[in-house]
Amino acid sequence: MEIINNSKEYDVIVVGSGAGGGMATKILSDAGLKIAVVEAGPYFDPANPDQMTQLKWPWESPRRGSGTTRAFGDFHMSYGDWEVDGEPYTVEKDTSFRWWRSRMLGGRTNHWGRISLRFGPKDFKSKDYDGLGENWPISYDDIKPYYDKLDKLIGVFGTKENIFNEPDGFFLPPPKPRLHELFYIKGARKSGVTVIPSRLSILTKRINNTRGVCFYCGQCDRSCSAYADFSSSSCYVIPSLKGGMVDLYTNSMVIEVKTDKNGRATGVSYINKDNGREYSIKGKVVVLAASACSSARILLNSKSKAHPNGLGNSSNLIGKYLHDTTGAGRTVFIPDLINRKTYNEDGVGGMHVYSPWWLDNKKLDFPRGYHIEIGRSFTMPEYGFGYNPNEFNKFFGLKVGGYGDKLRQDVKKYYGSTIGLSGRGEAIPRKDNYCEIDPNTKDKWGVPVLKFRYKWSDYELKQAKHMHDTFEELAYNMGGIALGNKPTKEQNYGISAPGEIIHEVGTTRMGDDPYKSVVNKYERLHDVDNVFVVDAGPFVSQADKNPTWTIMALSWRTSEYIIDQLKKQNI
Amino acid sequence: MDRRESIKNILLGSIGSSVLLESCVSLDKEVLDKIWEYQYGRTPEEKERDEKFLNSKFFNENELKTIEKIANIILPPNEIGNINDAGVVEMFEFIAKDWSTPAHNNYGDKVLRRSIIVFDELCTEKFGLKLLECSESQIKLLFDEISYEDKSLKDQKESVRLFATFRGMVVTGYFTSEIGIKDLGYKGNTPNVWDGIPNDVLEQYKGIVSYDKEWIDKCVDQSKRGEIAEWDEEGNLLT
Repeated sequence: MEIINNSKEYDVIVVGSGAGGGMATKILSDAGLKIAVVEAGPYFDPANPDQMTQLKWPWESPRRGSGTTRAFGDFHMSYGDWEVDGEPYTVEKDTSFRWWRSRMLGGRTNHWGRISLRFGPKDFKSKDYDGLGENWPISYDDIKPYYDKLDKLIGVFGTKENIFNEPDGFFLPPPKPRLHELFYIKGARKSGVTVIPSRLSILTKRINNTRGVCFYCGQCDRSCSAYADFSSSSCYVIPSLKGGMVDLYTNSMVIEVKTDKNGRATGVSYINKDNGREYSIKGKVVVLAASACSSARILLNSKSKAHPNGLGNSSNLIGKYLHDTTGAGRTVFIPDLINRKTYNEDGVGGMHVYSPWWLDNKKLDFPRGYHIEIGRSFTMPEYGFGYNPNEFNKFFGLKVGGYGDKLRQDVKKYYGSTIGLSGRGEAIPRKDNYCEIDPNTKDKWGVPVLKFRYKWSDYELKQAKHMHDTFEELAYNMGGIALGNKPTKEQNYGISAPGEIIHEVGTTRMGDDPYKSVVNKYERLHDVDNVFVVDAGPFVSQADKNPTWTIMALSWRTSEYIIDQLKKQNI
Repeated sequence: MDRRESIKNILLGSIGSSVLLESCVSLDKEVLDKIWEYQYGRTPEEKERDEKFLNSKFFNENELKTIEKIANIILPPNEIGNINDAGVVEMFEFIAKDWSTPAHNNYGDKVLRRSIIVFDELCTEKFGLKLLECSESQIKLLFDEISYEDKSLKDQKESVRLFATFRGMVVTGYFTSEIGIKDLGYKGNTPNVWDGIPNDVLEQYKGIVSYDKEWIDKCVDQSKRGEIAEWDEEGNLLT
């Protein structure tokens, strides 16, 4: 195929516009560098009325919001989910992996839970505590200044708690708990489980004059039209476009990093999805932020004489150590919450309280911790509401089923009477959990796709078992009933399939030793001095924390390093 | 003016004067309602899918009437409205097409249409009439038999399984409609300022759960939400 070359040379080409790419775009363009942002999906602005789903009612969708075209429902703001038309992936037999992709400006930051947790000092050096996995080549102190700057730039609510591995930051004040959250607090305290206000990047207070303040519709997963929650589109890329230093290429899927005969990067080539043709652009530096697995795919597909098994892959470790957060969940029925008086309890788009990891793994039979997220059912009905309209009758010795006005009364009686508990834990990264190029399968543009191989180990399974034990204790202490049976060993203790929690990390791990890692502590490929990876690929370990805040803190740090190196003419 | 009306005004305002708006709304209200009924942030591909299904037919008139009749018995009309006001039959029609794929196991045919066939057969067996020809009390006699699970059976009878799914669709359709949400009493999906659980509700739960002062003191002071945040070097909020 003929490649259409663009003669313009950028200082930096940023591949992907999500958390890591958006952060890099802002910092690099603010420094006066000429940037190309290459995004595989369309332009997206949460404030665009044609794209907006926020504040829509279920009846505004002919399928009442059901998940036919979007896995989490019609109103959820992600273009793409675990399936993307024309962009398949394969999974090795007897293993599983589900790969979520959001093809749009801002990527997955448009739909995420805004849970913005710093990794703690222990999280960077876990191997020192249990001998498993690998330590990061950096420590909390290296990244702390970037977390601090991030808190102030973007805004995150929370409270100072002085817990060693849950570092405090520059917090906005949290919202008051909702009713079901008081039940959770009560149950957690009785169970000896730590419970504190949650930490979400939602503006409970004004942070600058360009973004709005939260108006409590509880719909951050639809992306906020007032920019009161953090999305890379609204907070980084769209404002950066106004500075004149950024060219944005949308519907442009990068397939390869181009290199010269010495193996240094000269730019990227991409498919324009609107016409199916291949183009290339030139840049002095390439920053990959396409998401951990997409960046790995691009690198592995960038083969040349200098890099015969993929760019930056002399260690053969690209794609290896892939790991996702573990997950298990349980719903709890609270009889005290039947026949509730209704009022507007939407609150922010997520929990107002949560439990960080509270135990010492040295006394447990699994090595790493988890946090507990709290969900609710006193929400706006969408498709699926009322499918088990009076199942809880069984707890009162009443008949389940029926029809007529009695049924209607039962629906109202039980509305808002359940609480969802979700455990989110840290997995141990393993070399034999990985993604690689599948030589036999291509996407609709002819680009070889990824094949996954992923299995949980006993460490994760035992952790999931512990989650369910905890949920049952919490349920009892809340005065509730944990629904369903506790999943058995044969059911893998109810653990989520790898990829389902959508926190995949680790595919281009960071380290000092080029034989044991792909990028150095500034997220630069060991093999090439002008290619960086700023998504979650460089994560050495996951921590029991959501990855976004750490992706962005690292990307900010790397961007400053790139600016410094360009100034010194080292790259 | 409700939001749909104001969206119409935005549309018409962009193509003409308010005089045009008045005449358009009165002349073509039905057409405009159809156009604006389903504006909910679709991508071009999603819009195409919706339009295709909105412009095609799955159920025949008899089937639609049967769905309507059953739905009205599952959730009878009350002072707030009825199954038609809730658009339940339209939702059945749309979802039948939306889920008529192998991925959904041809839900339209295998579950929804199949339900109508099975309920008709049972009515014929019992009363010698199709469901539509039966009186409400006859239909209720049938529903009394198939609307509860038989705990002694491991696998429920087909009629019981189909009724449960059909009922689920009716209940979901009703309570996701404008009148259903009013009936339920859901009060959100509107800009507001959350400042904690209302006092009368806290009063009701006294002795079970309550706010503790230490926690609440750390929470947002909503009178200062508009003031730009500033911190000291220790991260203490100053504003």
